[in-house]
Amino acid sequence: MSAADSTYDVIIVGAGLGGGIAAGVLAEAGQRVLLLERGRDLRYRDIPGDHLRHHRLSLYGDNTTHEPAGHPRVFVDPQGHSRTVFPHEADYHNNALTVGGGARIWGMQAWRFHPDDFRMSSRYGTPAGSSLADWPIAYSDLAPFYERAEHEVGVAGDHTTTDYAPRDRAFPLPPVPATPTGAWLARGAAKLGWNAFTPPLAVNTTPYLGRAACVQCRQCIGFACPTDARNGSHNTLLPRALASGRCTLITRAHVARVLTDASGRAHGVEYFAPTTPDSAQTERRIAHATTIILAGGAIETARLLLLSASPQHPRGLGNHSDHVGRHLQGHYYPVVSGLLPVGFQNPNLGPGVSIATTQFNHGNPGIIGGAMLANDFVKLPIIFWRSHLPPELPRWGSANKKAMRELYLRGIDLRGPVQEIPSPDSRVTLDPHVRDHFGLPVTRLSGTTHPETLRTAEFIRARAEDWLRAAGAERVWSSPMDLRLSASQHQAGTARLAADPRDGVTDPFGRVHGHDNLWITDGSLHVTNGGFNPALTIMALAFRAAAKIAATT
Amino acid sequence: MPLTPPQLEALRALLDRLIPADEFPGALAAGTDQFILQLLIHACAAEAPAIAQSLTHLDAEASERHDQPFAALPTAAQDALISDLEQNRTATPWPATFPAAAFINRLIDLAAEGFYADPANGGNCDGASWRMIGYDPLLPARPSAP
Ligand SMILES: Cc1cc2nc3c(=O)[nH]c(=O)nc-3n(C[C@H](O)[C@H](O)[C@H](O)COP(=O)(O)OP(=O)(O)OC[C@H]3O[C@@H](n4cnc5c(N)ncnc54)[C@H](O)[C@@H]3O)c2cc1C
Ligand code: SF4
Repeated sequence: MSAADSTYDVIIVGAGLGGGIAAGVLAEAGQRVLLLERGRDLRYRDIPGDHLRHHRLSLYGDNTTHEPAGHPRVFVDPQGHSRTVFPHEADYHNNALTVGGGARIWGMQAWRFHPDDFRMSSRYGTPAGSSLADWPIAYSDLAPFYERAEHEVGVAGDHTTTDYAPRDRAFPLPPVPATPTGAWLARGAAKLGWNAFTPPLAVNTTPYLGRAACVQCRQCIGFACPTDARNGSHNTLLPRALASGRCTLITRAHVARVLTDASGRAHGVEYFAPTTPDSAQTERRIAHATTIILAGGAIETARLLLLSASPQHPRGLGNHSDHVGRHLQGHYYPVVSGLLPVGFQNPNLGPGVSIATTQFNHGNPGIIGGAMLANDFVKLPIIFWRSHLPPELPRWGSANKKAMRELYLRGIDLRGPVQEIPSPDSRVTLDPHVRDHFGLPVTRLSGTTHPETLRTAEFIRARAEDWLRAAGAERVWSSPMDLRLSASQHQAGTARLAADPRDGVTDPFGRVHGHDNLWITDGSLHVTNGGFNPALTIMALAFRAAAKIAATT
Repeated sequence: MPLTPPQLEALRALLDRLIPADEFPGALAAGTDQFILQLLIHACAAEAPAIAQSLTHLDAEASERHDQPFAALPTAAQDALISDLEQNRTATPWPATFPAAAFINRLIDLAAEGFYADPANGGNCDGASWRMIGYDPLLPARPSAP
């Protein structure tokens, strides 16, 4: 059978975190899956350990993107000026474009959302101009799938202290090792009367599911893991899908549109793929399936829904009520830096995040929502130089060099993913002028988060300062934040779940309203993005949607 | 080669002040000049003409004040000139499109990027800066990841 006329049970667009989960569940359930990924299936050695070109500092490129020049976006700043941007630039709002998606190089923080994160509007109301809303599902609907993600992907944590959300089972892996800085921060939290505990991380703290344990290197977030101890769908559910013999993965396959018939049923996708696996030449192909799943990440999935407009759906698929691409959100991240007391050096072992508090996720007087706060990953020297030296220090000369050697191991910083108050104007649209390598309109990003986000972020920044001071930091500093578009690594919200088709893009399981066999299993579904890193919720939703598809098709 | 010999000399003299040698090697011993030249040829080729031009302005600025190119000045005069550039305090005209402060801040960034990044980038030969601050990526000699 030639690829040109192939027919499958399921086509999944994007072999990232959510797409990989869906592939595993559906292939094991007996469905024949075609998994199309625009990036490559990168091995450890294919992801360079370049400190200037990785996913936390991408000054001149990054370590997963291939062919960056052919896939620009257009970014519109708050003053209305637009410019063309490329994947390594901050305004591109990138995530990793490779098999595994962001999880190939992620920080592994694997948080369940708080039960109240699913009912933000009921708890706080909806500020004027915002699109803050409740999810159409409750925490309890997602809890069994959080548990599946924790066990089948592998999360390390301490269930006795991670108790802000109810759970039925312990974590499958012991928590990351305690650190002296964690103990120092725990004493600070105790002084303030705050909870503080070891955060859950999707890392093999011991060998698990056939892969080795973390060796605590110092080149973790933003890079590939030398022992494959960093868990995601690329080394769990995706290999399971491939081992079933029912999943075909095609890499460098760029989906251009979803094909629908007059009734709205999706019957296939059009994509561009290399003529032979290693060829630079691409050809246009069509593949058909009974079920189509979009998992390209919140920005690309929205773009694909818009690109798939048809005479019956002139504004794009699922876009009858004008929600596709809107409510784009990520996380504001207040960062507070400080210095450990003289003589106290951070052992600086990977991954590095070792203590967190959920004291301020909710219930902050006069504030909507909040954030989890945690210490940070092992910091690369150049990142420390750029962002964590005391602000009054000269930027050059012997004083700067001396400070680098005296302060590098005394640096400490706290940060937290602030639950954003979404705005309908923060959005993905198609740019009317700029086209990509294949001639398709590129993503245009415009708008900003709602101003309430800024208020919450400033509140959280002040609490992080309190924590460092209470712990006894020699000095503490941070800078105020400004109103801007927020998406990037934690991008979400562009195809929100909604029981009523007027309120969102998909039904409460992730099926696109008006298109019975078109589903989404990525961050686009999040109505709000929690005061936590989003990936465990993306995985739980993907497990839940895939189980539903398997049960009904 | 994106720079003329006098520009290269000015660049090297400047780097020697931005990250000077002390008990530990400085930018020049670590090869940071080579790192910057490579960037100007490849990733930052678009910036190269402006930076080259600014290095000429740097010499003009030094000559206006001390009748000597930047590289020939005593270190105290070099440092004073760098501080002035940071404040856009100049005695000669600099282009409005790339003022003195923008130039010196860019060079300060480039120097640190080379000096503190991984040795493979070419500006931190032998991991000189990492040894100085106590950083080692601690990667296993033989990665077990596929
Ligand atoms: C450096 C870094 C650190 C992070 N740390 C954390 C953390 O500690 N905790 C946490 O919860 N989250 C973290 N994240 C975020 C996390 O990785 C993302 O939330 C997650 O990967 C999103 O999953 P997704 O399925 O929505 O999309 P992705 O994982 O981005 O997958 C989308 C996939 O679709 C592919 N694709 C897109 N368009 C097309 C198309 N048209 N055709 C074919 N394929 C396409 C992409 O190439 C990609 O592989 C981090 C991200 C980064 C970059
Ligand atoms: S710190 Fe552990 S999980 Fe992170 S890259 Fe190193 S070995 Fe892998």
